[in-house]
Amino acid sequence: MLRILLEKELRDIIYSTKFAITFAAAAVLVLLSFYVGIRNYQESIHEYENAKTTNAANIAAQTDWRQIQDRVFRRPQPLEILVNGVTNDVGRTTDMRASGELNLINSRFSADPLFAVFRFLDLNFVFVIVFSLFAILFGYDAINGEKESGTLKLVFSNRISRASFILSKLLGSVLALGVPLLVPLLIGCLMLLGFGIPMSGLEWLRLGLVIVAGLLCFGVFLTLSIMVSAMVSRSSVSFLLSLVVWIFSVLIIPKGSVLLASQIASVPSIDAVETQKRKFTADQRQKWMQASQQWFSSRMTSSASMNDSGFVNAMAAFQDSLQKSTEDARLEFYNRLDEDWRNKKDWQEKWAFGISRISPTAVFQIAAMNIAGTDVGMKFRYMQQLNRYREAFAETMRKKTGSSADYFRIVIRRFSGGQNDQEEKQKSLNPSELPEFVEQPRSIGDAMTASLTDMGLLLILNALFFAGAFYAFLRFDLR
Amino acid sequence: MDQPNILEAQKLTKVYEDGLCALDHVSFSVKAGEIFCLLGDNGAGKTTTINLFLGFLNPTEGTPFINGIDVTKDPLAAKQHVAYLSDVVMLYPNFTARQNLDFFARLGERRNLKRDDYYNALRQVGLQEKAFEQKLKGFSKGMRQKVGLAIAIVKEAPAIILDEPTSGLDPKAANEFLAILHQLRAQGRAILISTHDIFRAKEISDTVGIMSEGKLLAVKTKAELEHENLERLYLDYIQGKVAA
Repeated sequence: MLRILLEKELRDIIYSTKFAITFAAAAVLVLLSFYVGIRNYQESIHEYENAKTTNAANIAAQTDWRQIQDRVFRRPQPLEILVNGVTNDVGRTTDMRASGELNLINSRFSADPLFAVFRFLDLNFVFVIVFSLFAILFGYDAINGEKESGTLKLVFSNRISRASFILSKLLGSVLALGVPLLVPLLIGCLMLLGFGIPMSGLEWLRLGLVIVAGLLCFGVFLTLSIMVSAMVSRSSVSFLLSLVVWIFSVLIIPKGSVLLASQIASVPSIDAVETQKRKFTADQRQKWMQASQQWFSSRMTSSASMNDSGFVNAMAAFQDSLQKSTEDARLEFYNRLDEDWRNKKDWQEKWAFGISRISPTAVFQIAAMNIAGTDVGMKFRYMQQLNRYREAFAETMRKKTGSSADYFRIVIRRFSGGQNDQEEKQKSLNPSELPEFVEQPRSIGDAMTASLTDMGLLLILNALFFAGAFYAFLRFDLR
Repeated sequence: MDQPNILEAQKLTKVYEDGLCALDHVSFSVKAGEIFCLLGDNGAGKTTTINLFLGFLNPTEGTPFINGIDVTKDPLAAKQHVAYLSDVVMLYPNFTARQNLDFFARLGERRNLKRDDYYNALRQVGLQEKAFEQKLKGFSKGMRQKVGLAIAIVKEAPAIILDEPTSGLDPKAANEFLAILHQLRAQGRAILISTHDIFRAKEISDTVGIMSEGKLLAVKTKAELEHENLERLYLDYIQGKVAA
């Protein structure tokens, strides 16, 4: 009997005009999201390559390593185009320097503010908005719709158990709707290959996991709406209830969770932190000037000449030690501030994510972003990599620019007119002598670990609503 | 030879949790080759009686039997012997008439039927040939009723229960429908019909049961009704002018 009912369910859905229209709309949106993503990726890669070339040319045009303004660019990752996450909010360019704070500038949204308003069409949008609505449209009248049309009584005037009927409804709906949705997703994957998007094996695995998470999210809404349909006798009521759940899940809970979390765990604004940093830096600069003045005052009273090698060496040693102590103090202060801010932010995010997990779409979003590596930790991880790279950059620059004493000798020679232009002429720089920044994507192990809870939650929600629909139908009034 | 009872209600009583007595010790039987009409206004207990036969409700007291099987004890086995047609026969609008028939036939455990068998059943109920492979979404209520009746025919159950089958049908469709019921009676089916249409009840039935407020007030055979004004009798019973 289950097979007969299952067959009927599949055919009933697939033959319907509702299915044809919604499937076509969903398929177009899925393919469009892949296409838009691919074009964005190609454009971003083009911009990235151009920026790197221009940067190298700028360095090559210089003759003194001290004068270079090196820039590091964040390479677009293929998965970012399908699950945007916070990618477009994170700056793509960094002015690299051996000391001082590194900042990310030129985010996609700052370059294209229009997209900050309307956002990009990505898989996340398709799963969260389109597929979940799609599920509700097919699930809301699965049971009570049959009651209203009289087919429920007709079916149960035969030797049919309630268990096989509800099982066929649930499995039939999942198969009839889930499997066809895989088709445009697979075509989208073929588009990635066709357009030559460089996807590694691990990236394919990640994409597969995002699709699994998306289908689980779809399953949650489908089983939820079937459960609601088995709890109320009128389909208009179950549609309204399912729609309210959808609105809360997609629009209200995620935004509300952020608001609530900011009330529970307050975090100082970035501006407040920046103000503290600026004040500290200004104080340091003041102290540097005072220390330098004192040093010069104590030395200039003696008979030492500025051209004296001993004097230059002492001044360089003093400046080196001052710079080191200043940088150490700055790093310590900045790190302490950043760490404090980060801890508070982490705590707030934990609250926000914890509360938002009431919503299945938020659970999916968190899981998908973690798998794709575009989660809220993306900026922090990237900054860590930049800071690690900065050490290698600083080391290279130290080698290239020599000691502080050498620098002072050059300055003194220039000011005392002891060097002509001919002597000063140097050959242009070779940018490849700088270490190359290669961004390491988040490891699949880390991504899996981070998304495990949410994938598990989606599975549990599916099982819960499946069981809920089953139980509700066992008590459903067939009359 | 006396025909066996195919449908039998023995002191059927249904009292809901809120204390409402929907059915009060109703007893009757329908034999093979007999059409029994339950006549009553809305809320008389006709549909409750049908729901008890189909196992959609459990009786507070009494027992419904289908082909000798106690519905309360073995509802699934009892359903094997009954075909049902509800007053709302939307069926599956995305299926054709033949596909609807095929689905319900297989549910009714008639699994080896061929396309021609379905076509024959649809011809029997008078559906136009061109509608056999058309989706039901464009069908009139009369056409859907015919498909519903074809479903009942294909099941080949000894008992057929029809809940307000002619409500909403135009006179021509209603007459065609009743003609088909005569054929089924001739085949020896026991047919239980609930209706509030006095004239159709008198026209079609072998026995009429008058119901009001959950009670079966009178059971009259066709012979007894021959010289009676059923409308008057019905009104007298439900107004309490005649003792039950």
